[in-house]
Amino acid sequence: MAAQPSSAGVAGAIALPLGDQPAAPAGRLRRTLKITVPAALLLLIFALCFLGPLIFAVPSPTFTNILDANEGLFSPHHLFGTDQVGYDILSRILYGGRASLEIALAVNGIGMVAGGFFGMVAGYIGGWRDAVMMRFIDVLIAFPGIVLAIAIAERLGPSEFHVILALTVFSVPAFARLSRAATLRVREETFIVAARLSGTRTNRVLLRHVLPNILPQLITFNLLGMGIVVVLEGALSFLNLGIPSPLPSWGNMIASGQTVLTAEPRLVILPSIALFLTVLSLNLLGDGLREHWSSR
Amino acid sequence: MSASAPASFDLREGGEARPRHLGHRLAHSSLLRVLGRRLLAAIPVMWGVTFLTFLVMNLVPGNVARSLLGATATPAQVNAYQAKLGLNHSFFVLYGNWLGNLLQGNFGNSYSSHAPVTSTIAAQLPVSFELIAYAFIISLVISVPLALLAARRPNGIIDRLSMTFSMAGVSVANYVLAVVLVWVFADVVSAFPAIGFVSIGTNFGENLRSLTLPAIAVGLPLAGFYTRLLRADLLEQLQREDYVVTARAKGIGPWRVIVRHALRNSLFGLITVIALNFGTLLGAAVIIEQIFSLPGLGNGLIQAISNHDTPVIEATVLIFALMTVGGNLLADILYAVLDPRIRYGSTTE
Repeated sequence: MAAQPSSAGVAGAIALPLGDQPAAPAGRLRRTLKITVPAALLLLIFALCFLGPLIFAVPSPTFTNILDANEGLFSPHHLFGTDQVGYDILSRILYGGRASLEIALAVNGIGMVAGGFFGMVAGYIGGWRDAVMMRFIDVLIAFPGIVLAIAIAERLGPSEFHVILALTVFSVPAFARLSRAATLRVREETFIVAARLSGTRTNRVLLRHVLPNILPQLITFNLLGMGIVVVLEGALSFLNLGIPSPLPSWGNMIASGQTVLTAEPRLVILPSIALFLTVLSLNLLGDGLREHWSSR
Repeated sequence: MSASAPASFDLREGGEARPRHLGHRLAHSSLLRVLGRRLLAAIPVMWGVTFLTFLVMNLVPGNVARSLLGATATPAQVNAYQAKLGLNHSFFVLYGNWLGNLLQGNFGNSYSSHAPVTSTIAAQLPVSFELIAYAFIISLVISVPLALLAARRPNGIIDRLSMTFSMAGVSVANYVLAVVLVWVFADVVSAFPAIGFVSIGTNFGENLRSLTLPAIAVGLPLAGFYTRLLRADLLEQLQREDYVVTARAKGIGPWRVIVRHALRNSLFGLITVIALNFGTLLGAAVIIEQIFSLPGLGNGLIQAISNHDTPVIEATVLIFALMTVGGNLLADILYAVLDPRIRYGSTTE
C-alpha cells in the first residue's frame, strides 16, 4: 500500500468513534487482531472454496445418485450429508462459494476501476461537467440494488456472467460516488494545490497524488461491497435468476432447502452459515482496515 | 469554483466534510428556494430513470412475444403476436408512447391478467408500505435504546454487546434471516404464521401477526446498521460539542445530557439516513414478500418476471426507482429543514 497518510482522514460512511489509545500496547494488539482474525478467516474461506476441492476428494457438486439422498451429517462419504435429490452438501457449499467469490471479485473489481476512475475525474474537474456526470450516477443509483439486477438478470437469463453484468450496474455508481466524495475532500489539500500550481499535468496529479489518497477508502469499500455482492448474488440465485441449477450457489441451496425446512433444517442452515461467515469476515476486515487507516 | 454551479447530492458521503464558508455566502437564501432547486434537480434524474427502465426492458436481447408463445412458435406467429401487443415499432416510438401514457397515470395492461397495471399496483402498494413501516418501527425500537446504553459507557459491556449485535445484524442477509425465523417461530414454536397475509381491514391483530416475521427479517439488519450509526454519532456529540460541555458544567446528569441534548442532535442525522434507506428497504421487501407470500409490490414483480409480463415489470421497477428518488429528495429536504445551519444554495465547485 503506497498510501500517503492523509490529514483528511479516511473514515468512511460510518465514522468510527474515538476511544482507543494508540499508544497503549494492549490497544495496539487489539487493533492488530481486528485485522488479522477476519483476514485469516477470509483467507481460509477462499482457500477452502478454491483449493479445497483439489486437496480433499469431494464428490462432484452436480453428481447425484438418488440412492444416496437424504444422508445425515458425518455419513461415510458425505461429511455434511446429502440433500433431497442426493447432491453432496459439502461439495455444493465449496463450489457455490467459489461462484459467489468469483462474482464478488469481478463485480467489485470492475466497480472499483471504472466507478473509482469516473468519480475521481468528476470530483477533480468539478463544475458543470461534474454535475452532468453525477446525474448519470444518480439515475443508476436510484434503482434499489436488487430491483434493476432482477430486471437485467431476467432479460439476459441465468448465468454466472450475466449475474456479474447485472450487479456491475449497481457497483459502478456506488464506487463513483464514494471516489468523488473522497476526491473532493483531498482536492483542496496543500500538497495537491502545490502539485497543480507547480505545473504538474492533470493526469499525473490524479494518478500520483489523488489516487494514493483515496485508495484506502476504495479498498475498504471494496471489502464491504464484496459482502453486499455476495448477499445480492445469493438473492438472485435464491429467486432462480442467478447461478442456474443444477450448478450450486448458496442462494439456490437455501431456496431449495426451504421447501423441506421442517424435515431437514440443515439444508438451509449450512449454506446460511457459510454465507454469514463470509459476509461477516469481509465486514470485520473492512472495519478493521478503516480503523487502522483513520488512526494513523 | 463558481457559486452558481448546480447543487449536487453528495450529502450521503462526506457532505459534511466540505467547507461551510462558501455556503454562508448564500445564507440568506430562503428554504423555499432550496426546496425548489432540489425538486428541479430531481426532474432529470426521474426522466433518466424512466428511460433506463424502458431501455433495459426493451433493448436487452430476449423477445417478449417469443417468450410468451414458447419455443415452438413459428416466426410468423411471433410477428403476428408482436403486432397484436403493439410492439412492432421502433424503440423511440415505443418509448414515446409509453412515457406519454405514463404521464397520464396509465401503465398499460398486464399481459397475463389483462387488468390495468395501475390498479394492480395500487392494490399492492399498501402491503409493501405497511411492511416497511413496521420494519422501521422495529429497527428504531431496538436501535435507539441500544445506542443510548452503548454511548453511556463506551467500551463497557453493553457497548461491546451492542457492537457485536450490530455487526451480526449488518452481516446477515435478510432472506437467510427470514428462512431461519420461519424455521424457529413457525416450525419449531408455532408462534407466527409462516406464510400468508391477512389484510388490515379484515382483522388488525391477525394482520400484524402475519407481518411480524417479515418485518423482523427486514428490520433486524436495519437495527444493526442504525445502532452503529447512532452510537458513533452520539459519541462524537458527547466528546466534541461545546453544548455538551456546557450542559455538564451546569451539573446536568449524564443521562439527561445524552437523551435531552446529544440524542436530539443525533436524531437529525438518523432521520435523513432513514429517508435515504427507503429505496434499499423496498429492495429488501422484494425477496421477503416472496418468501412470506405477501401480496405486495415485490411479490408482484417476481410473479411478473416468471410470466414475462413486461408492462408490470416496467411499471414496478419504475415505481421502485421513483420512490427511491423521492426518499433521497426527502432526505435532502429534511436535512435542510431540521438543521438551520445547513443552507444549501452553493457548492464548493
